Amino acid sequence: MRNMRWSGGLAVAGLLLAGCGGGPGGGGGKISNDKIVLAVLNDQSGIYADTSGRRSVEAVKMAVADFKAKYGDKAVTDKIEVLSADHQNKPEIANSKAQELYDRQHADVILDVPTSSAAFAVATTAKNKKKVFIDVGAASTELEGKQCNKYTFHYGYNSYMLAHSTGAEVTKDGGKSWYIVYPDYAFGQDMQKTFSTAIKEAGGTVVKTDPTPFPNDNFSTFLLKAPGLNPKPKVLGTMHAGGDLVNLVKQYNEYKLRDKGVDLAVGLLVISDIHSLGPDALAGTRYTDMWYWNLDGTARTWADKFQAKAGVRPTSNMAGNYSAALQYLEAVQRGGSDKSDEVVKQLEGHKFDDVFARHATIRAKDHLLLHDAYLGQVKPASEVKEPWDYVKVLKTIPAAEAFQPQPDPSCSL
Amino acid sequence: MLRIDGLSAWYGEAQALREVSMHVAEGEIVTLVGRNGAGKTTLLRCLMGLHGAHGRTAGTVSLFDDDITKLAGHARARRGLGYVPDDRGIFATLSVEENLTLPPKMGPDPWSLERVYETFPMLRERRRFPGTKLSGGEQQMLALARVLRTGARLLLCDEPTEGLSPLIVQRIGEILREVRAAGVTVLLIEQNVHFAASVADRHYLLAEGRIVESLDSAQVREREHELLEYLGI
Amino acid sequence: MLQQAFNGLVGGAFYALLALGLAVIFGMLGVVNLSHGAFYMLGAFGAFIALDSFGLNFWLSLVLVPPLLGLAGVVLERLFVRRLTPLDPLYNFLFTFGLALILQDLVKRQYGVNSQQYPRPSQLDGTVDLGLFTYPAYQVFVLGVSALTCLAVWLVLTRSRVGMIVRAATERPELTRALGIDVGRWVTPVFGFGIALAAFAGVLAAPMRAVNPLMGSDLIITVFAVVVIGGLGSVFGSVAAGFAVGLVSALGNLYIPSLSQTLVFILMAAVLLWRPAGLFGREEAFR
Repeated sequence: MRNMRWSGGLAVAGLLLAGCGGGPGGGGGKISNDKIVLAVLNDQSGIYADTSGRRSVEAVKMAVADFKAKYGDKAVTDKIEVLSADHQNKPEIANSKAQELYDRQHADVILDVPTSSAAFAVATTAKNKKKVFIDVGAASTELEGKQCNKYTFHYGYNSYMLAHSTGAEVTKDGGKSWYIVYPDYAFGQDMQKTFSTAIKEAGGTVVKTDPTPFPNDNFSTFLLKAPGLNPKPKVLGTMHAGGDLVNLVKQYNEYKLRDKGVDLAVGLLVISDIHSLGPDALAGTRYTDMWYWNLDGTARTWADKFQAKAGVRPTSNMAGNYSAALQYLEAVQRGGSDKSDEVVKQLEGHKFDDVFARHATIRAKDHLLLHDAYLGQVKPASEVKEPWDYVKVLKTIPAAEAFQPQPDPSCSL
Repeated sequence: MLRIDGLSAWYGEAQALREVSMHVAEGEIVTLVGRNGAGKTTLLRCLMGLHGAHGRTAGTVSLFDDDITKLAGHARARRGLGYVPDDRGIFATLSVEENLTLPPKMGPDPWSLERVYETFPMLRERRRFPGTKLSGGEQQMLALARVLRTGARLLLCDEPTEGLSPLIVQRIGEILREVRAAGVTVLLIEQNVHFAASVADRHYLLAEGRIVESLDSAQVREREHELLEYLGI
Repeated sequence: MLQQAFNGLVGGAFYALLALGLAVIFGMLGVVNLSHGAFYMLGAFGAFIALDSFGLNFWLSLVLVPPLLGLAGVVLERLFVRRLTPLDPLYNFLFTFGLALILQDLVKRQYGVNSQQYPRPSQLDGTVDLGLFTYPAYQVFVLGVSALTCLAVWLVLTRSRVGMIVRAATERPELTRALGIDVGRWVTPVFGFGIALAAFAGVLAAPMRAVNPLMGSDLIITVFAVVVIGGLGSVFGSVAAGFAVGLVSALGNLYIPSLSQTLVFILMAAVLLWRPAGLFGREEAFR
């Protein structure tokens, strides 16, 4: 009740201010509240805090600075704010924070939002409020399927991309039979399904799939069981993330499964996980990522700038947030307005190349960003030449192959 | 030797004792009689310093003319109080012998293990048993023997005869008289009016947290039926 | 199958060490120490910091870190827990819970949520032939050391006067006091010891599990279930239940993986229905 009164009061105050303003500013009144507000909503205290978290906020601030530097006086406005909030990976908190950001703090766009269930909640809010939402952190393909809407974009990666490159490539390369273990919640279940499909399409077989408790620190049961399955799998596919993944890999090495002829493939691997485990623990493991800081000169230059600010090398997620913020601002610049409908119109079908997204298109029919993905392999420690230089990029998967070739028919914007 | 002045006790808002004043002289056996909920057990717990954990108290308690009101339970025991709780308080994780050797020896005349076993031969037989594997009567003997081993000067016994067969009740009476002969004082909670009259010198009748009457054993015998009816036995 | 059972016992070893510490602390102080998981985490981080900043190897950490954290526990008991014990149990409940969050966030602030690298000691890198099957040496070591520790604690508890006092005070602290024993004097070392056991488990976990600030809070929920199954405050029960729960979850993972998430809690509910005081608990403890 008190909250409602507050927000009512703020809304009135906002209207009054809007009425009085409108004088200065290069954009000539097309910018709501006379400023653009970008809000990063993500996990700032839990398991994904180091994958994205506050450092993604830093990346978004870099995008704002780069945008201002590029356009100078010609920018639609020079008043650009960056907000951030912690959703603790909980859908209900994500929902209330998103409402607060859009309504009370006048956010024009919400970025990041890892954890698919939280992303769905924010997508619904964005739809109801008619505000733009660009998701970078969540993996579920439902964001551009059942849960899709006019104001929601899925930017960077999804479980289809991970499965169809890692799953298919490893299978084609001789890893024909798989034993898949996955954490027993939405993300893991989704990953398990997409991987199974991709492996079968590539001509492989899935010997068995097992759910594991979440979170879990003892994977011995599954690791002991793996070599004894009939037929014996050639690949152990893990769909775990964060601490669970670290636990599993440590124990995989302890049981020396590689020596027993069971290779490891990781569904979702983040460079910070490699850093946690040490490259030798994962040496030889193949995985797919949407970006890598040492991909090429362009990426590296940006990564250097980022490291100067944040103190670490960026994860692909942080770079994705930089790119999403930049492309949002570019869209506002092109359309000359931060009105949601105008921004959506500018984003739909847009083709571009930036530090993060190469050969990129935002598909108009389902708002999925199509861009190049990369199949990487973890180097052994002996080949690591500098800190964080853990990955050899084996192959670029072209934008057209990396993501779903057709929009999901269940999506109508 | 024991003097209680204006002792009140509360459990949260509920008052369990209302300004209880009484005394026990050295060498006496005194009983507290009263219905369930009259405050008898609370009174013994207050004397033992065990009430503080649950609620507040007021008034003073002195032992051998020393004010012990503010002392912690273990310090009171070291001054000569020996406590036998209503459920006998035998430790299940300790053997019979460990139950006996747990409390430190404190008073001037602590019983030796040998003396305990001579008085209670069945405890010697079962000394390796877990304490709670004994029968109710045996547990009662163990609880009594345990405080005697400390050399306690004043025994606080909470219904030692409850639920025991007449033969064992009789045996407990003998033991109490024996220890009194050795100079030990006893404050006893007792619902068995007949037993109380046979073993004790004086009696306090407690009702709703107050001492309502002070009787001697002859008066108790005279009014046995009236008292039994009042106590609801 | 045998191998799986063995693996369950290894997992159970961690439960047993943590539950043992929780049980003595709960028994003696009546305090449900919600910061226990945080000290497990600090044990692992202690080992990491010792290696990373001071170059101390695993073996030195195993000897040094638990006593140091045990000492921290002693200070904690003296400064805070002791003052709150006479009040409603809720105060210590909230205090230890808050403490767990503070410790967790302090570590998070310094090291982030990502896991830290901690290598296996090279002496235990290989495998051991156990006759029926071979097994990673480190895991055999963990099981052996935990079992020995539990055994040593059991011997001290059953064979020494200190142990007798701790057992009595764990069972009925008030009565023990009424028998002339200054329980308060033993409370501080016991609290410190319980914390040291948690830290010990943490150091043992560092080479085989993810070392991150959340590792304790993830594990401790199961450990509380273990303590309840074993019977609140029952020392023997907590150890037995620790190994049993390890065994059950390993076999549960094997045969009914879809239930593995909830199996421990189903077990807890079943035990509580059958014996409300837990397997080795006594009803009197709840007076």
